[in-house]
Amino acid sequence: MSLILSLTLNGRPRTDLVPDNLLLIEYVRDVAGLPGTKRGCDGGECGACTVLIDGEPRHACLTLAARCDGQHVETIEGIGSPGRLSPLQRAFHEKLGTQCGFCTPGMIMAAEALLRRTPSPDEAQIRAALAGNLCRCTGYIKIIESVQAAAENAS
Amino acid sequence: MSELPSFELIRAASVSDVAAARRGHLDCRLLAGGTDLIANLRRGIGGPTALVDITGLPGMRDIAAEPDGIRIGAGVTLARLIEDPLIRCRFPALADAAATVAGPAHRTSATIGGNLCLDTRCVFYNESEWWRKSNEFCLKHRGTVCHVAPTGNRCHAAYSGDIAPVLLVLGASVELAGDGGTRWIALDELFREDGAAHLALGADEVLLSVRLPVEPGLLAGYEKARFRGAIDFPLAGVAVSLRQADGMLTVLRIALTGTNSRPLLVSDCEALIGRPLDASALRQIDRLVQKQAAPMRTTIIPAHYRRRVASALACRLAARLFAEA
Amino acid sequence: MTGQREPAVGRRLPLIDGIEKVSGRAIYTADLPAHALVGRILRSPYSHAELLGVETDAARALPGVIAVITGADCDKTFGVLPITMDEYPLARERLRYRGEPVAAVAAVDEETAERALALIQLKVRELPAYYSAAAARAPDAVRLHDKRAGNVLREVHDEFGDTAAGFACADLVREARFRYAEVAHGQIEPHAALAEYDAERERLTLHSVTQVPYYVHLMLAHCLDIEESRIRVVKPFIGGGFGARVEPLNFEIIAALLARAARGTVRLNLSREETFLTHRGRPETGIHLKLGMTRDGRLTAAACDTVQRGGAYSSYGIVTILYGGALLHGIYDIPAVKYDGCRVFTNTPPCGAMRGHGSVDARHAFESLLDTMAAELGLDPFAVRRANLLTTPTKTANGIVVNSYGLPECLDRVQNASGWRQRKGRLPPGRGLGMACSHYVSGAASPIHRTGEPHAVVELRLDFDGGITILSGAADIGQGSSTVLVQTVAEIVGVDLGRLRVISADSAVTPKDNGSYSSRVTFMVGNAAIDAAEKLRDLLLAAAARRLASRADLIERVGERFRVSGAEGPGLTFREVAAAALAEGGSITVKGTFTVPIEYQGGKHRGGAVGATMAFSYAAQVVEVEIDPDTGMVRVEKVWVAHDCGRAINPLAVEGQVQGSVWMGMAQALGEETRYEDGLPLHASLLGYPIPTIVESPPIEVHIVECLDPNGPFGAKEASEGSLAGFLPAVTNAVADAIGLRMTELPITPDRILEALARKRRERRIAAARETVA
Repeated sequence: MSLILSLTLNGRPRTDLVPDNLLLIEYVRDVAGLPGTKRGCDGGECGACTVLIDGEPRHACLTLAARCDGQHVETIEGIGSPGRLSPLQRAFHEKLGTQCGFCTPGMIMAAEALLRRTPSPDEAQIRAALAGNLCRCTGYIKIIESVQAAAENAS
Repeated sequence: MSELPSFELIRAASVSDVAAARRGHLDCRLLAGGTDLIANLRRGIGGPTALVDITGLPGMRDIAAEPDGIRIGAGVTLARLIEDPLIRCRFPALADAAATVAGPAHRTSATIGGNLCLDTRCVFYNESEWWRKSNEFCLKHRGTVCHVAPTGNRCHAAYSGDIAPVLLVLGASVELAGDGGTRWIALDELFREDGAAHLALGADEVLLSVRLPVEPGLLAGYEKARFRGAIDFPLAGVAVSLRQADGMLTVLRIALTGTNSRPLLVSDCEALIGRPLDASALRQIDRLVQKQAAPMRTTIIPAHYRRRVASALACRLAARLFAEA
Repeated sequence: MTGQREPAVGRRLPLIDGIEKVSGRAIYTADLPAHALVGRILRSPYSHAELLGVETDAARALPGVIAVITGADCDKTFGVLPITMDEYPLARERLRYRGEPVAAVAAVDEETAERALALIQLKVRELPAYYSAAAARAPDAVRLHDKRAGNVLREVHDEFGDTAAGFACADLVREARFRYAEVAHGQIEPHAALAEYDAERERLTLHSVTQVPYYVHLMLAHCLDIEESRIRVVKPFIGGGFGARVEPLNFEIIAALLARAARGTVRLNLSREETFLTHRGRPETGIHLKLGMTRDGRLTAAACDTVQRGGAYSSYGIVTILYGGALLHGIYDIPAVKYDGCRVFTNTPPCGAMRGHGSVDARHAFESLLDTMAAELGLDPFAVRRANLLTTPTKTANGIVVNSYGLPECLDRVQNASGWRQRKGRLPPGRGLGMACSHYVSGAASPIHRTGEPHAVVELRLDFDGGITILSGAADIGQGSSTVLVQTVAEIVGVDLGRLRVISADSAVTPKDNGSYSSRVTFMVGNAAIDAAEKLRDLLLAAAARRLASRADLIERVGERFRVSGAEGPGLTFREVAAAALAEGGSITVKGTFTVPIEYQGGKHRGGAVGATMAFSYAAQVVEVEIDPDTGMVRVEKVWVAHDCGRAINPLAVEGQVQGSVWMGMAQALGEETRYEDGLPLHASLLGYPIPTIVESPPIEVHIVECLDPNGPFGAKEASEGSLAGFLPAVTNAVADAIGLRMTELPITPDRILEALARKRRERRIAAARETVA
């Protein structure tokens, strides 16, 4: 079974015919051609596919695309303005919050959700907000510093 | 194209829609947040011809204050439970327990009803199709033997929801709707000690809401033993509620998760009523929990650890609450 | 007029490819656009069996299936070490572990590929399977490999100095047994490969997640039986390595075989479970260690007996078992060292190289026993280490030259930073401090293939645009090797970073490189880059001299400007000098090389090349823990680590590497462990394999110690591995300090802590009862 899915992806409305069993991660990567959202596990365990749905962080790998009808979906490609890094993206770059970069899109999306609601988070809030996003390179120290720097630069 | 098996997604706007969907698809599964179900479907556990989205049923997303308590729609997300002012004010232990579930991006999808109805878990079950097939499947799904206890005749998969214990010690009841209308049952009656069929829901029934009574002076808390600071299911989880008057216990309830195939309201706690929570009472709590918790080899961490840590956390939490009361 | 340029070396430069990573534009293997068939692998459900037949007719007949391959399609074995190439891409005749690839299909979509796999039938005769080294070594055990008697891949017996005499003259001799679980790399990117076969031209292009494109290239040519010139291997962005990808892996060759069979393009994306099944992690290891010590803490002798459960195939096994002995040397001055090692085949996924390869478990045993003995002698842990420091330059007993040795300063730095003197022994109950040291090679001195070629080659190209392109085969896997190359070249040539770009790891374009392993890239490729950059600089100076009618040795550079020393006037811009240089013969390409001199390539004894390096990094760390006696949970409060990496070419990246490796040591020490149930992995997911989350990850304070090495690029040494091993003993030493438990089985999961606490209470009760009776 398929349905006609209408949603807003990174600020642009689009409509696609999608099968009922299509995962959002498959829709974003394969249908919409946005490969920034990463697949790191076999379902809901690593957070690399974190996207924002109506501003809330969600696992694209556990979400049916068909259930996003009418919603606003944001991926790493939609963060910031075109051609300009967002404060979080800049901070992750400059503070080395990214090494191999594979967890980075999900990490930044989770951090983005945090900063929109809590513009000046303390360290405990940062840890809590990124608790579902695994990183194997950094030990997380420079990730925390990146989020702190982004919060400071934005305020 | 998808990593998921083919199915039809049916959106139910009413209980009768659910019934109709069930008549059309005898093997269908109810879908709320999907964080448990979709993960299992991706591993080839079950291949329903339809998923029925029940989050659009009336009242599913509501949190309502009632004269003597509070009513929470089964589709309320865990993220909302954590932040809702009414919950935070009247039942902070529930918000605290919700905050221990998985990670933030799970909790924005996952619902209170879904967490209550969470499938039981086992290292022989939460595996890929290739894995389970290589192991000749298991009693819970497509097989004939429980690898945890091969000589027995039941499934020992462990109940692993974090919300049920708190609701149990708070005296929650749940609203079920079925072909014959709706009924309320004590939450405790929703569960059975059978890993392959741990929910006592009728085939026609759907969980609609949870009601929590207000008991003045009752203090409750939840402690979760898990290996990591997030993401993990409980190795053991303990909820305690108690009330005291003049240094004596007047109410004491303890409930466990992660140790049995159902969330377990520890029995015989009444023996401690009318006593102070002193060292001997704590020893008795330790004995009660150790005796009734029945963890099996369903996790990587050994079962005896889960039993021991359940009793340790029960004692610690009870002592803390008693001191606060 | 431009002023003095900021030095490029020593600068906290963000990674040059960081912008792609944070913006989602970095293209990893699974992201490559292609109209590709879907590849899928059928994996063995058996631990050990004779493979009598693979029935594929039904799968081939399924509409949408384009190719089905089995072991019959490739009769060549592969492997990273030329002397132990013992794996078939798809099993033939024998299945040796659950998860081993047996057949593969290419189909139009995933669903068809899955259905095709289900139609393939295996005919087997099962054999006894062995999941522990002891079981596999039993006298009556069936051999996994016919040529390997006793299921032993390699035994090592080395003695340097007279250990018997050393133990005889010791005031204190102690021995202990340790056990270490097998651990896995857990890089967040699952394995993936994209193979494009141009059937008309018989050419293959493989994009893969590899750390060693050159070794993959060689094995593709070997297994497909085509010449290397018909193959192109490209490494796109990679989501971490940690050693998981430092050898050619079965799925890479399978992707290529499938593409050829399908006469097209095949995408092979592995699941997380399959990524775990491919394995190559650190083996389960048993160590029996004996140390001798004088009353004042001087080591007199060490004897180490090591058994490793290697899994079903050799992989790097010979190197791993040799490393275990070799890296007992090079950190302390020990008069006599004996090492007995044994690497065993078992019916589990093959182990290989993992960050800190060969050093980690042995270092834990050593630093633990050192602490125990120091305590017995009433010596402070720092004092006992200071009593055994090397003096440099020196040559170790096993023939490794050590020219730079920053360990003394590392000790001072972490002792002061952690407040050790004031705080040790004065912490509240359940809290403790522990410390330990570690070291690691800056590149294995001997290449795996002794072709006579240089060990590293870098090319620089300067053309009309005034840009300099750095061409390197080195695989940047997130560690920042491309960034280091840019800083190196900018420093020597004296140009702005904006002129530089890096093209790396594409065999059609870049010079061969042995790959990103053994922390070799900064040291070897960095030195090759210096060589190349100096040649380009000299060409530019000569061109400037010609234009300025002067001599090259009189030309000075200020910013990007060239002028005659002491002369008036603006001089020449870089573009003017470049134009002058290009006028001679057009586009300029220079090549720099580096080869480790023979005197650094290790001792003459058998296996002496393993562990040999031109320079060791050194690290010391202090770990503070708190233990919850009710749950047995060990919480790491803070880590202070000092790492001697020689010159920190990029201190920001060094900090990131040191934090990452300390943290990975923590992950191994506290909880990570592979577990098999009759050869089936219980851990093959990111729930079953508990990679730490941000919540329980501690602050890690990094102190960079720059003890320059005369042979390193600008004096630099490695930064990515040396501080991993030290965490394990530092944390168990801290646990001993906190609750008096000496943990000898790792990881120290909460159940093991509670069990050890219960055991201790029992022992105390028994002792008390005995006293009462007496």
